[in-house]
Amino acid sequence: MDSKITEVSQMFDRFQASFMRKDYDTCDRLLSQLKVLLTEFKSLPPLFQETPNNIRELTLARHIYEYAVILSVKIEDQDAFERDFFQLKPYYTDARSRLPPSAEEYPILGLNLLRLLVQNRIAEFHTELELLPPNALENPCIKHAVELEQSFMEGAYNCVLSARQTVPHETYVYFMDLLAKTVRDEIAGCSEKTYDSLSIKDARQMLLFSSDQELSEYIKEERTEWEIKNGFVFFQRSKESTPCKEIPSLQLINQTLSYARELERIV
Amino acid sequence: MAAAATMVSSAGGLLAMLNENHPALKLHALSNLNSFVDYFWPEISTSVPIIESLYEDEEFDQRQLAALLVSKVFYYLGELNDSLSYALGAGPLFDVSEDSDYVHTILAKAIDEYASLKTKAAETKVESTKVDSRLEAIVERMLDKCIVDGKNQQAIGMAIECRRLDKLEEAVIKSDNIHATINYCIDVSHSFVNRREYRREVLRLLVKVYQQLPSPDYLSICQRLMFLDEPEGVAIILEKLLRSEVEDDALLAFQIAFDLVENEHQAFLLRVRDRLPSPKPQLSATAQSGSNQPDSAQSGSAVPLQDVQMTDDTQESSSSLNLDQHDEVYAERLAKIRGILSGETSIQLTMQFLYSHNKSDLLILKTIKQSVEVRNSVCHSATIYANAIMHAGTTVDTFLRENLDWLSRATNWAKFSATAGLGVIHRGHLQQGRSLMAPYLPQGGGGGGSPYSEGGALYALGLIHANHGEGIKQFLRDSLRTTNVEVIQHGACLGLGLAALGTADDDIFEDIKNVLYTDSAVAGEAAGISLGLLMVGTASEKASELLAYAHETQHEKIIRGLALGIALTVYGREEEADTLIEQMTRDQDPILRYGGMYALALAYRGTSNNKAIRQLLHFAVSDVSDDVRRTAVLALGFVLYSDPEQTPRIVSLLSESYNPHVRYGAALAVGISCAGTGLSEAISLLEPLMSDVVDFVRQGALIAMAMVMVQTSEASDSRVGTFRRQLEKIIVDKHEDTMSKMGAILASGILDAGGRNVTIKLLSKSKHDKITAVVGLAVFSQFWYWYPLIYFVSLAFSPTAFIGLNHNLKAPKFEFLSHAKPSLFEYPKPTTVPTTTTSVKLPTAVLSTSARAKARASKKEAEKASGAEPSAVLGSGKGKAVDKDGGDAMQVDSTAEKKAEPEPCFEILTNPARVIPAQEKIIKFLEESRYIPVKSAPSGFVLLKDLRPHEPEQLSLTDAPSSTTSNAGGSSAGQPGSASAMAVDDEPAPPQPFEYTS
Repeated sequence: MDSKITEVSQMFDRFQASFMRKDYDTCDRLLSQLKVLLTEFKSLPPLFQETPNNIRELTLARHIYEYAVILSVKIEDQDAFERDFFQLKPYYTDARSRLPPSAEEYPILGLNLLRLLVQNRIAEFHTELELLPPNALENPCIKHAVELEQSFMEGAYNCVLSARQTVPHETYVYFMDLLAKTVRDEIAGCSEKTYDSLSIKDARQMLLFSSDQELSEYIKEERTEWEIKNGFVFFQRSKESTPCKEIPSLQLINQTLSYARELERIV
Repeated sequence: MAAAATMVSSAGGLLAMLNENHPALKLHALSNLNSFVDYFWPEISTSVPIIESLYEDEEFDQRQLAALLVSKVFYYLGELNDSLSYALGAGPLFDVSEDSDYVHTILAKAIDEYASLKTKAAETKVESTKVDSRLEAIVERMLDKCIVDGKNQQAIGMAIECRRLDKLEEAVIKSDNIHATINYCIDVSHSFVNRREYRREVLRLLVKVYQQLPSPDYLSICQRLMFLDEPEGVAIILEKLLRSEVEDDALLAFQIAFDLVENEHQAFLLRVRDRLPSPKPQLSATAQSGSNQPDSAQSGSAVPLQDVQMTDDTQESSSSLNLDQHDEVYAERLAKIRGILSGETSIQLTMQFLYSHNKSDLLILKTIKQSVEVRNSVCHSATIYANAIMHAGTTVDTFLRENLDWLSRATNWAKFSATAGLGVIHRGHLQQGRSLMAPYLPQGGGGGGSPYSEGGALYALGLIHANHGEGIKQFLRDSLRTTNVEVIQHGACLGLGLAALGTADDDIFEDIKNVLYTDSAVAGEAAGISLGLLMVGTASEKASELLAYAHETQHEKIIRGLALGIALTVYGREEEADTLIEQMTRDQDPILRYGGMYALALAYRGTSNNKAIRQLLHFAVSDVSDDVRRTAVLALGFVLYSDPEQTPRIVSLLSESYNPHVRYGAALAVGISCAGTGLSEAISLLEPLMSDVVDFVRQGALIAMAMVMVQTSEASDSRVGTFRRQLEKIIVDKHEDTMSKMGAILASGILDAGGRNVTIKLLSKSKHDKITAVVGLAVFSQFWYWYPLIYFVSLAFSPTAFIGLNHNLKAPKFEFLSHAKPSLFEYPKPTTVPTTTTSVKLPTAVLSTSARAKARASKKEAEKASGAEPSAVLGSGKGKAVDKDGGDAMQVDSTAEKKAEPEPCFEILTNPARVIPAQEKIIKFLEESRYIPVKSAPSGFVLLKDLRPHEPEQLSLTDAPSSTTSNAGGSSAGQPGSASAMAVDDEPAPPQPFEYTS
């Protein structure tokens, strides 16, 4: 068993070295091997068997997955981020009692919150938030994400965009860039509900585009139901609201009456 | 679980791992998920598509694991179909021996699925529905496991359900106790296999298994063979037993024959009898003539009657001289068994029993007669019906003889039923039936007799010979052909139908059909019913012919008769009848729909078939015609009679219906299915109906109550006594309406039926339906339209007796134990004498009777005055009967009366004894007894094995030889003084005819 740990640690050292060198392809490859090796440790979740080296193994595994999460940010792979984060999570939640806390815990949790914000999964964002202990909210990484969410919900989109400057961790920059797009989608969604049409200039400003070109590309790609005509953007076509369904009252009354009649006949 | 403290709180990590690229990681995730699925299925369920895609990925080598996981998740989601299909995909990973809810549920589902597929395949008879081989594999694995583990009952249940007869056979053969297993198997196949065809297959298999056994249980085999309608098999077994050297085997053969007879399947029995090979050609001739003797004796009108047994004995002894010993024994036994199979032996013994043990209470009748208003013809005939039913099969017609003048008030159809009532009283008097009825039968010369009494007499002949009409058929046919009076035709049709019940004789069919086509309402109705009786259970295509005529004719009566007749033809055919039922129930004409209800009832009699019940309930609440609704509810009684506890529950809601017809139907349904059970729920359901606001509902409830309570003693249910008093009250009450009065009169008849020695039984002891009884009740329930059909109820009566017989088919003296207080099962106490009995009747008697009757009446008066027993008047012929009556009554009473203040907790019964159904459980045979029964049945005919054959036997059921009077002519003359022949031929002499009209 010890040999395995050594093997994993050695490989992890190599992984870290490549990570420093920003050789992400090698990292990815090594990480995959590491994960396979980790499956052989019985002390890891979900089994949590009591083995002599369980603390070491758990710590090591947690470390590996923390790196895996950060790596996924570096290579800008959201799916990998999600995957790795979920695999990491048991080390924070279920193994909390048996491991010393990790320095990376709050930054990574904050990253995850940010990711959920970017993907506009507000419900999950709050679920995650509720799972955190109260003092965790004091942590700058978490606080940052929470404040962003508040601004986002209030519609103070400029605050959201300006927050990019105050990121608590370098890895956050990636998600902050993505957040700008999420904000734009929100604005677009609101405007099409609010206005029948907008002049191209207003629309451009509203949607935080720097040029009309970008606006029309955005419309072409994301909002095909909008229409540009005579210097205006028309939202009507997306408004074709379906009329709310009518209650088939007469039919219901008839049915009920016939049931009553049947009942009468049976007894 | 123990590790709960350290368990992960979420499967999220593992699920995320599924998306990893490396297969090792996927495998790790899958296997871990699989072990945690019980806790995390809600989380996993959101990721099912990913796992499914893994299963569908041909290159992934752990597809089966993925399938198992998905299957489990679907199981937790309640999607059993999906779960099953993935479990099949999991192949060997799905472990049938695992003890978990999941595996149990999915296995059950798999077996259900497999069974329904197999059933569908078998029913459509198309091989196109290919069963998934994986499914089959799972089921087989399960079956094999059960067989190996010795869980035979489970294996049998499954094998039957899945139509895997090969596995069934394996399970039966490998079981430790084959006999018990087979019996279990038979029970299961009767109660759970709904398809008739399939049930036959199962039984055929069982017979095969039986025959392979080293010590076959012939009794059971023959019962099965009878169900399968394979007379050859029975004949072979019987022959083997008869030819055996061992006396016991012959006893067994007799026992088999008696058991078969009990099921009342006339056509089958005749075929068995005809197939029994005769030992040598010349002997066969004698045996043939022997068994034909009664036929020829009866068809010739004035030939002195002879006893069958006698003839057989004498002829055999003469012919056996040149045969070797072995064949002689065989021939003798053969003659006996033929007698049994033809039903004559059992009928004769039954009649002797009923006659000798008759305990009917004439005082009840007397009370009824006095309280019924003279001019009220309905109650008048009801009293006659009640008398007939009370004395059914006992041959005691004292009441009629005593009240000739009163009887003479019956005119027209009342006269018809009065005459027919004699048939009920003399039911089973096969040898002398015709001479009994002779004075009323249509005379060749054509003068004199009223057509009503002639018709009634023909009907009576039918009742006497019901289901054993070989000897009388020809005579009835002739009578039918030579008359064109519709009343006589009516009687002849009914009689012929009864006598030829279920024989499907083509010539008779034509004769009756000709009557039908005369389009006379009265004769046509009877013809319709009669055709049905004739063709009972044949499902012949002639039914469509009848249906066509029913559409053609204008007479409602004929349509009704035909509707019932058509229904009778599909008796017991279950699914086979569905097309016909469909046709009838969809008809425009309510009368045919009404017939459809009967068809449903009879086709699915005693099967408790859900489909039939559903259909009947549907018609009971939705049909527009009251008649159809009433019949639909009533029909439930027939469908459910094998499971009487069910009926009160099912009809309880209907018994509270606003519609009186439905309430009436509910009452009769309970009466029919719970007949003779004394079931407490049934009584509770009927009680409120007896005080219903509508008169005919009260009538139905009273009759039904009587049917339920027949032979229930007051000691076991106090409500019986209440009911008796209530009946008396209704009858005596001047202000009670006619309908309920009639109901009460009939009810008191049924309650004390057959001298209180019969009950209504629709199932034989081997759980076969008694065709005569069911048909009888079905036609009886028609009395709503036609009172004379009331007599059909007598077909449903079966004697509650233990009759032990030795190898000579005589009843030896044999005692056994009834392990309960005698009062629990004793006869109801005779009613007390009302104060004034003789004050009113005499003056009226003189007025309307003929000189002859007058003379008789005055003679009776004289006798009365002298204080002698009333029945002693009736001439020398009756003298013997009276003696016997008295003697036997004493004998029986002695046991009952012996119990002084502290009642003993047991009772010694003497063969032949009255054993009522409730008593059967506690009958014990004494160990030190001289005889031991071949089969330990507590009632019915039981052959007794003599352990001390060399000691002289003491026979019971024989009367003192001195009582044989000259009137018993033929039989006593033929008696060659051999003591052994005494019991059987000592049959009550035919009473003298009497007339009650001028």
